[in-house]
Amino acid sequence: MSSHAGTIDHHHDPSTSTGIPNKKLLMWTFLASDCMFFGALISTHLIYRLHPMPDAPSPKNIFSIELTSFSTFILLMSSLMMALAVTAIQKGNLKSMRWSILTTIFFGSIFLGCQVYEFQEFVEVKKMTITNSMLGTTFFTLTGTHGTHVAIGVLWLILMYVRSFQPPEAGRNTAWFIRHAVHIAVIIGAILLAIFSTLALVHTLHSGESLGAFFGGHFAMLAGLLACIAAGIFLARPNGPVNFGEANAIDVESMGLYWHFVDIVWIVIFTAVYLLEYL
Amino acid sequence: MEAILKTDLHAKDVHAPVKSAIFWRPTAQTGLISWLTTVDHKKIGFLYGVFALFFFLVGGFEALLIRLQLMYPNGTVLTAQQYNTMFTMHGTTMIFLAIMPLSAAFFNFIMPLQIGARDVAFPRLNAFSLWTFVAGAIIINLGWFMHDGAPDGGWVGYSPLTSKTYAPDHSIDMWVMGLQLLGVASIAASLNFIVTIVNLRAPGMTMMRLPVFTWMTLITAFLIVLSFPFITIALVELMMDRLFGTNFFEVSNGGMPILWQHLFWVFGHPEVYILILPAMGIVSEILPTFSRKPLFGYPIVVFSGASIGFLGFSVWSHHMFTTGMGTMATAAFSLATMAIAVPTGVKIFNWIGTLWGGHISMRTPMMFAMGFVWMFMIGGFSGVMHSAAPADAQQQDSYFVIAHFHYVLIGGSLFALLAGIHYWFPLMFGRKVSEFWGKLSFWVIFAGFNITFFPMHFLGLNGMPRRNFTYESNLGWNSANFIATIGALILGVGIVIYFAVMVYTFLKGEKVGKDVWDARTLEWSLPNPPPEYNYRVIPTVHARDAYWYNKQHKAEIAREEAENAKAEAAHGGIHMPHQSIYPFVASLGLFIAAIGIAVVDHDPSPGFWGKKIGLSMIGGVVMLAGIYFWALEGNEGYHLHLEDEGHAATDKNAAKH
Amino acid sequence: MSAPAHSASAAHDHGHDESKFQIYVQIAMLLAVITGVEIVGIYLPFAKWIIVTSLVVLSVVKFMYVIFYFMHLRWDKPFCTIMFFIGLVLACGTTWALLQLFMTPASLPLPV
Repeated sequence: MSSHAGTIDHHHDPSTSTGIPNKKLLMWTFLASDCMFFGALISTHLIYRLHPMPDAPSPKNIFSIELTSFSTFILLMSSLMMALAVTAIQKGNLKSMRWSILTTIFFGSIFLGCQVYEFQEFVEVKKMTITNSMLGTTFFTLTGTHGTHVAIGVLWLILMYVRSFQPPEAGRNTAWFIRHAVHIAVIIGAILLAIFSTLALVHTLHSGESLGAFFGGHFAMLAGLLACIAAGIFLARPNGPVNFGEANAIDVESMGLYWHFVDIVWIVIFTAVYLLEYL
Repeated sequence: MEAILKTDLHAKDVHAPVKSAIFWRPTAQTGLISWLTTVDHKKIGFLYGVFALFFFLVGGFEALLIRLQLMYPNGTVLTAQQYNTMFTMHGTTMIFLAIMPLSAAFFNFIMPLQIGARDVAFPRLNAFSLWTFVAGAIIINLGWFMHDGAPDGGWVGYSPLTSKTYAPDHSIDMWVMGLQLLGVASIAASLNFIVTIVNLRAPGMTMMRLPVFTWMTLITAFLIVLSFPFITIALVELMMDRLFGTNFFEVSNGGMPILWQHLFWVFGHPEVYILILPAMGIVSEILPTFSRKPLFGYPIVVFSGASIGFLGFSVWSHHMFTTGMGTMATAAFSLATMAIAVPTGVKIFNWIGTLWGGHISMRTPMMFAMGFVWMFMIGGFSGVMHSAAPADAQQQDSYFVIAHFHYVLIGGSLFALLAGIHYWFPLMFGRKVSEFWGKLSFWVIFAGFNITFFPMHFLGLNGMPRRNFTYESNLGWNSANFIATIGALILGVGIVIYFAVMVYTFLKGEKVGKDVWDARTLEWSLPNPPPEYNYRVIPTVHARDAYWYNKQHKAEIAREEAENAKAEAAHGGIHMPHQSIYPFVASLGLFIAAIGIAVVDHDPSPGFWGKKIGLSMIGGVVMLAGIYFWALEGNEGYHLHLEDEGHAATDKNAAKH
Repeated sequence: MSAPAHSASAAHDHGHDESKFQIYVQIAMLLAVITGVEIVGIYLPFAKWIIVTSLVVLSVVKFMYVIFYFMHLRWDKPFCTIMFFIGLVLACGTTWALLQLFMTPASLPLPV
C-alpha cells in the first residue's frame, strides 16, 4: 500500500457516484443527525435555565471558569493534533500519524480527567447532584453526554492507533490477536491510572498533605501506570511490515470528523452553558 | 494493475485458513446460520417483511380486542387496565413494528435494485439494523410474558403517566428501551440508505432519473436521521428520571411535563411522514406502470416530497394546540400545517394526472394503489380540518382524530404497502397472486376499513373521547360503535384472506417470467427471483424510466451491456461482501444491555455489581466486542465470475480469490 | 483499490498539503485567542446584549473555522457541506423555536 504514496486523491473517490467516499458521506450524515441530538439536549438545558425554581442554585457559584477554559483550550489543541494526524496519513507518513494520534489521545484524556474532577467537585464540594436540582439534572446530563462522546472518541483513537500496527493478512494469527488485545488493554489501563493518580495528586495537594504521603498511599497505582506505559512502548516497537497506510486515510479521516464534531459541540456548550451564566 | 491484483488474490487464497482461526467467515447458504449472518439486502429485506407482517397481525389482533370491547356500551371484554395496554401496544406495534419495518423491507429489497446497485453501501451495517430492530421489537413485547405486563402509557407516553410514581413497574422501562433500540436500528439503516442512494447509483442514473420510490426512500431516510435523535433524547431523559431519580419531568422539582410533549412531537410529526412517504413512493411506481404512461410531473412529485419532508419539521405543535402555547405560536404552527397540505395536494393531482388518458389495466396492485389515492385524500381532508386551531380544539383527543389518522395510516400507508407486496411479489419470488383472490381481498379490506372508520368521524364530532375503555349507553354513540366493530371484523377477514392468499402463492402460486407487469423501472430487468449479485453487468441508464427505455432500444442496450461485461470481467468479476456474524453479535449485546436496564430489578444489596449493572455491562462488552471484530475483520469480499447469462457461478470456492 | 494516478491533481494536492500544517497551526492559535477573548468578554462592563451578541458571533466563527478547515469542508465536495448544514440548520431552528415557545408567558405553568 505504501508504494502508492501520494497517488490517492483524498478528495475524490472514483468508485462512487458523487466522488465522495462512502465512509465520509456516512460520517457527515451521522454528524447531521448528531446535531439534532445535541440540539435536543441543549434545548432542554436552556429551557430549564429560562424557568429556574425560586430556590435554584446559581451556576455562577458552582462553575469554575478557569478549569473549564483550560479544558476548552485542551480540546481545541486535540483537534489540531487530530487534523495533523489526518494530513500525516494522507501523505503516507505512518510514524507522524501515530505521534499525532497519541497526542490527541493524551489531550482527550486530560479533558476527560478535568471533567471527572469537575463533576467530583460539584457533587462533593458544591453539593450539586444530578437529583437535587434541575440545574444538576440538565447540566450533568448534557455535559455527561458530551463527555461520553469524548470517551468514545478516545476509545476509537486507541483502537485506530493499535490497528496501525496490524500486520498484513498472512500475519494475523492468534499470537498477533493476543498481542493486539494486550496493546489495547495497556493503553486504556495507562489512561485510567494516569487520570486517577493525577486526581489523587491534586486532592493530596489540596488537603495539604505531603507528597511523600501521596507516593506512599498510591504506590500500587503508580507502579501499574509505569508498567502500562512501559508495556505500551514495548508493544509499539517496529515489528515487521504493517498493513496500514495511505489507503486507510479515509478511516482516520472519518474518525477525525467525529473528533472535531465533539470539539464543536463543546464550543457551543462552552458558550451556551458556561459563559452565558456569567453575564 | 491486473498483475498486482492477481498476486493479491493468490496470496489471500493461500492464507485463508490462518485468517479463519480468529475471524469466523460463515459461508452457509441455507439454514439458520445463513439467515443470521446474511449481508444480502434482499434477504434482509425479506426478513424485515416477515417480522413486520407478524407484528402487523399481532397489532391487528390487539385492535380487534379494542373494537370488541367498544362494540356495546359498558363492554366487559377488557378491563380498563387491559384496555390501556391494548391501545398502547396497538399504536406502538403498528407504527414501529409493522408499518415502518414493512417500508424498510421495500427500502432494502427494492431500492438497491432500482438504482442498479449490487448491494447497499454498508451491507453489515444493514444486518445490524435488522437485528437491532428485532431486539427492540422483542423488548417492547416482553411485557406480555411478564408479571409487570405490557406498556400502558399510550404510544405517545405522555409524562407524568410514565413517571415512576404512576408506573412503578418495568413495563414503561421496556417501552423506553425497546423504542431506543428501534431508534438505533432506524438511524443506522437510514444512514446506510442515504449513502447508498447518493453514492451507489449506476452510471447515468442522475438524481432526477431516480425512480420516485427511491426518492421517497431518500427523503424518508433523511427524516429518520434528523427526527429520531429527538425521541432518543426524550427517552434518555425519561429513563434518567426513572432510573436515577433526575428531575426532567418531575414537577415538584421544577420539571415541566409539557417538555416531553414538545420533544416527542418534534420527532412524532416527521414520523408521520416517515410512515406515509414510502407509501407515496410505492404508489408513484404502480400508477404509471398500470396506466402505461410516465408519471405525470415527475420533478414536481419529487419536489413536493422534499418540501413535505422539510415542512414536516415545522408543524409539530399542531398536536398540542390545546395545551396553550400563546396565540403567536398557535397561529404559526396552524399556518405551517395548512402549508404542508399544498405539496400533498399537488401529489394527488399528479397521480390523477398520471391516470388521465392512460391505458389503465385494473390489476390487483392497481386496485390497492387507487384505493390509496382515494382514502388518503379523505384522511388528508380531515387533516386540514385539524390545522385550524379553533376547530382542532373541538376535535382534540376525540374519535375524529382516530378516524383521521386511520384514514391516512390504513387507507394511506397500509393500502400502498399491500399494493407494493402484490406489485413486487412476482419479482421477489417469481410467483403471482391470482387476480380473483387478490381483488376479493381488496374489496373486503376496502369495505371493512370504511365501515370501521367512517362512523368514527361522527362519533368524534359527537364527543366520544379516545382512550376511554367504555361508555354509557345514553350518549348516542351505540350504533356507530356497533357498526365500527362489525367493520373491524370484516377488515380482519379481509386481512386474513390477503395473507392466506399470499402464503398460498408463496408456496404454490402461478409461476411467472421476467417483467410480468411490463414495468418501467430497472428492477424489472432482473430475472426473478433476483440473483444474489443482482446485476450480472451494472446497467447504464439513459432515461428516467430506465427499463422502459431499454425495452425500446434493445439492440443498443445489448451492445452496451456486452462492452460493460467485458470491462467488468477485466476488473476481476463481481465483488461480493463476505457474510458476517458480528453485526448479529453487536445487536445481541445491545439486546442484553437493554434487558439489563429495562427488565432486571435493581439489586437492593449495596455494591456496584448489582445484577442490573452487571447484566448491562456484559451486554455493553458483547456489543463492543461485536463492533470491534466487525471492524477488524475488514470489508473485503470475494469475486464471482459468471460464465454466461443464467449460469451464476455455483462453485464459489473456485471463484474465490 | 483502483487508484488511478491523477498525477496533476496529486501534485497539486501535495503542494497544498505542505501549507496545510501552517494553516492548521494558525487556526488553532486563532481559536485559542478567540476563546481567550470570550472569557475576558464576559467580565467587560458593556450592555448585556452587546456581550451576548459578540459571544454568539465569536462561537460561530470558531465553529465555522473548525468545520471548514479542520474538517476539510473547504476542500471537499460541496455536498458534504450541504449534508451537514441540513442537520445544523434544522437543529438550530428547532432549538430556537423551542426556546421561543417556552419564553411566551402563555406557556408557563400556572403558579400553584
